[in-house]
Amino acid sequence: MSYMSKATLDRELKKGSAELICLSILESRPRHGYEIGKLIEHRSRGQLKFHVTSLYPLLYRLEERGWLRGRWVEEAGERRRRFYSLTAEGRRVLARQRTTWRTFMNAMQLITGVDNG
Amino acid sequence: MADWRDVVRARLSALDLSPEREREIVDEWVQHLEQRCDDLMAGGSTRDEARRIVVDEIGGPSDWTNDMRRLRQARVTPPIPVGGPAACFSGLRDDVRLAVRRMRATPIVSATAILSLALGIGANTAIFSIADSLFRRPLPVERPEQLAVVVSQAPGGAARVTWSNPVWEQIRQRRHDLFETAFAYSARVSRFNLARTGVADLVDGVWVSGDYFGGLEVQPVLGRLLSPADDERGAGNNGPVAVISDRLWRSRYAASPEVLGRGVTIDGVPFTIVGVMPAGFFGADVGARFDIAVPLSAEPLMRGSDSYLDRATTSWLAIMARLRTDQQPSQAQGALRAAFPHIRDVTMPRELSAEGQARYLSEPLTVESASIGTSTMRTRYRRPLSVLLVIVTLVLAIACGNIANLQLARALERRQELSLRVAIGASRWRVARQLLVDSVVLAALGAVFGLVLADWLGGVLIRQLTTYTNAVFISVPVDDRVVGYAAIVAVASAFLFGMLPAWFAFRTEPAGALRARGRGGSSQGGRGPAGLLVSGQVAFTVALVIVAGLMARTFASLSSVDLGFDREAVVIAELDLRNSSVAPSGRGAFYAARSAEVAALPGVARAAVSDITPISGRLVDNYVDVDNGPDSPDAMKVAFQNVVTPGWFDTYGTPIVSGRDFDARDRLGATPVAIINETFARRFMDATVPLGHHIRLGGSAPQAPWLEIVGVVADAAYRSLREQPPPTVYLPLSQAQEVPAIMRLSVRAGVGQPMHLVDSVAAAIARADENVAMTFTPLDQHVDAALVLERMLAMVSGFFGVLALGLAALGIYGTSWYAATRRRRELGIRLALGATPAKVRRLVLARTAVVIGVGVVAGVAGSAWASTSLSALLYGVEPFDVATIASAAAILALVGLLATWIPATRASRIAPADVLRDP
Repeated sequence: MSYMSKATLDRELKKGSAELICLSILESRPRHGYEIGKLIEHRSRGQLKFHVTSLYPLLYRLEERGWLRGRWVEEAGERRRRFYSLTAEGRRVLARQRTTWRTFMNAMQLITGVDNG
Repeated sequence: MADWRDVVRARLSALDLSPEREREIVDEWVQHLEQRCDDLMAGGSTRDEARRIVVDEIGGPSDWTNDMRRLRQARVTPPIPVGGPAACFSGLRDDVRLAVRRMRATPIVSATAILSLALGIGANTAIFSIADSLFRRPLPVERPEQLAVVVSQAPGGAARVTWSNPVWEQIRQRRHDLFETAFAYSARVSRFNLARTGVADLVDGVWVSGDYFGGLEVQPVLGRLLSPADDERGAGNNGPVAVISDRLWRSRYAASPEVLGRGVTIDGVPFTIVGVMPAGFFGADVGARFDIAVPLSAEPLMRGSDSYLDRATTSWLAIMARLRTDQQPSQAQGALRAAFPHIRDVTMPRELSAEGQARYLSEPLTVESASIGTSTMRTRYRRPLSVLLVIVTLVLAIACGNIANLQLARALERRQELSLRVAIGASRWRVARQLLVDSVVLAALGAVFGLVLADWLGGVLIRQLTTYTNAVFISVPVDDRVVGYAAIVAVASAFLFGMLPAWFAFRTEPAGALRARGRGGSSQGGRGPAGLLVSGQVAFTVALVIVAGLMARTFASLSSVDLGFDREAVVIAELDLRNSSVAPSGRGAFYAARSAEVAALPGVARAAVSDITPISGRLVDNYVDVDNGPDSPDAMKVAFQNVVTPGWFDTYGTPIVSGRDFDARDRLGATPVAIINETFARRFMDATVPLGHHIRLGGSAPQAPWLEIVGVVADAAYRSLREQPPPTVYLPLSQAQEVPAIMRLSVRAGVGQPMHLVDSVAAAIARADENVAMTFTPLDQHVDAALVLERMLAMVSGFFGVLALGLAALGIYGTSWYAATRRRRELGIRLALGATPAKVRRLVLARTAVVIGVGVVAGVAGSAWASTSLSALLYGVEPFDVATIASAAAILALVGLLATWIPATRASRIAPADVLRDP
């Protein structure tokens, strides 16, 4: 791993898993962008951080694919916010990606012998 | 905080976003950055530190451009405004887009839904377009609303639209006084023979009065149409003229303008073609069309001494009037009624008995609007078409049930999303609308494919109805009426299957669904609305299968009805002597000689000549007197009549019960004789042995001779398969005073196909006289033609019965699969706690069994109530036929069981550990 900088590793891993991360965060309920970013940071215990420039393009892309749906919701007396929720298709994709990752992790574990405990 | 806005804008500027989209993104991101700052400050940073950290995090403009490139494609959906009337329809396009996207996500399910809808809507539209053309569509002529038809209506009796030519000639004289104009035409399309000699070349033709085309205001595509001058007796100066259809012009004359002035031989008479009728014109008789029209005045040339032109007792013309602009049918009726006593007097046939004269034209006449034309098919097809319409509506309802279930399942899947939308302020209407839009999009696609299907199906059905004896032509264009109907049906269907999910969305509790997320949910898949839907589908399917069963049994009964003759191996040759050299006085001898010759041909078992052949649609009936009959009212003593040569009963395989067949003894001058059938003897004669008794035909006409009964034959079908064989009198051709120019030679083949005999029979006839026109048809074609309606009803209801079964099976399968899936956790726990797979399977099956059982009971009850209206169409089977009903119920139960078996088996194989481990 010596030849890969921390920034590069961060970017590459994020790219591959970003979709799964976003979908997982939205699985339980719709959330707005800031909350998504916070949750990613929180759940990864600070190891992963998504800022506006990486988070929103991803959200828009997922929305375009029909996996997410973003809606502005405005209530009297409150600022309007854009909430993102999973579509039925998004749910299916999430289930699929989870399985793939699980298989991949198992395979990695078998190959590298590293037990992540 | 305007500065964040500027920061974001500066970094987005390189992307050339639309102003609207840029505003959306700026709004969203500014919120984000502001909140980030707030959080950092809450964590102890100063405002400036927080700002520095955030600026550091978001990087410089060049980083942005790289990360943002994809934003050009990213869509920003408009906000959901809360409340307000304009809110009702905003975002509709998005809803449609989303609906399409959702459909594409599950292509097989969507395709099945669209296909079943297309079948339902298509079948509905096809039947509607036929019924509409037959019963409602105005004639495709100018100002059809001004057309009216003269009808005679006996009190309580059937309306009669035909009149004799003498009556028409009287009305014709007064046509401009009574109406704007009036015209007449032969009410039934005839077969005109275009061949000069030999085997006939038949086309559909009509006789029309000179004002026919003028009255209908039809323009020719070539030449001219007929005028009153063409219709004068003696047929004008240049001989009789004819006009032909656009179809005939194209098929026989290659659409050549040279056709004008060309000669054509019709029934042996030379005519000159003077014009071509417009394409699509089929006259005023809906359900029929013709390729040649000739003036009424030419009829005697074609029919010779058999002409109807001067017969006041032969009704064959429909009389249609074009009313004046300000004239109502009732006014025209008043005027015509005033003139009618005189018309009646002038045309009174003097040869009628006093009683007959009193009856002549005694029924009151009416003038009725004829904007939809006249039709001989309406009475016959009204009920079958209503039955078909009910059948296809049931099929559509079943298809709608499936889609409703599908939509309901989708709505349940989206329960959480829908709840959330309600929770965060979307109106229930807005959420329900999304579901309705899904349904409308499905229905619209179904309607489009349905229309294509309707066009094809309509053609198929009409072709089914066309037989050798009856060419059915109904124009069923896919026009705005038909498209409108399909659209109404589609929207109605969409509401039918979209309502339930939408209603479901309406009562979605924001918090409840969120709490119920994921786990278990409700296990109402088998009961509740989905169960009700399936029960409804099953009920409709049972009803359909019962109808199909009844129709199939009717068809089977009629196909196997004892005709009293052997329909196989007989070919009928219609011989037309009008164009031949045979003198009227020599016709009897000619026919007798030909039937003897043909009977001797190799391969021929028997041959005989008759006036009427069975089930041909033709009939001759007459009043009869019987020398020892019981006193019964005149109306009861009507017998059907036929004129035959010796061996005719043998040819048809009808046994002679007592007495003898006609033979050489029965010549002119000898004792006039007759043979009767058993029904005649039973109904009209007291004597147990009718032989030797006498009957007299022609009512009370004093000059008719008494006929001695020399034989009794078994009953045989005469005109219709459904009717009991009528009392029938057979007369020997050899004793006929006048022999018609057209008679039918029936030939029974000894071995092989009777149609193989055509050439040798035709050659034998031509050897005697080459100008005899001949038409050959196998007898069984006549019988098949008589069953065309029953066959079609059996076929269509059978087809839709099977389709309905398939749809219902799909519905049952889908619902029980869905129910089992939703109960996966519960079933898994049961299995974990020791339930056997068989028990779990039973559990799933039992639930569906209840749903199916409810449907079967409802379906049987419903069809028992409705099937009495079918009784007129049935034969040999009762509307409430226990065997049919039991079979339908059994079929449904079996299909239901099969459709549930797979999900039930699947459920019984759940691995409990998997279920319990699942999040």
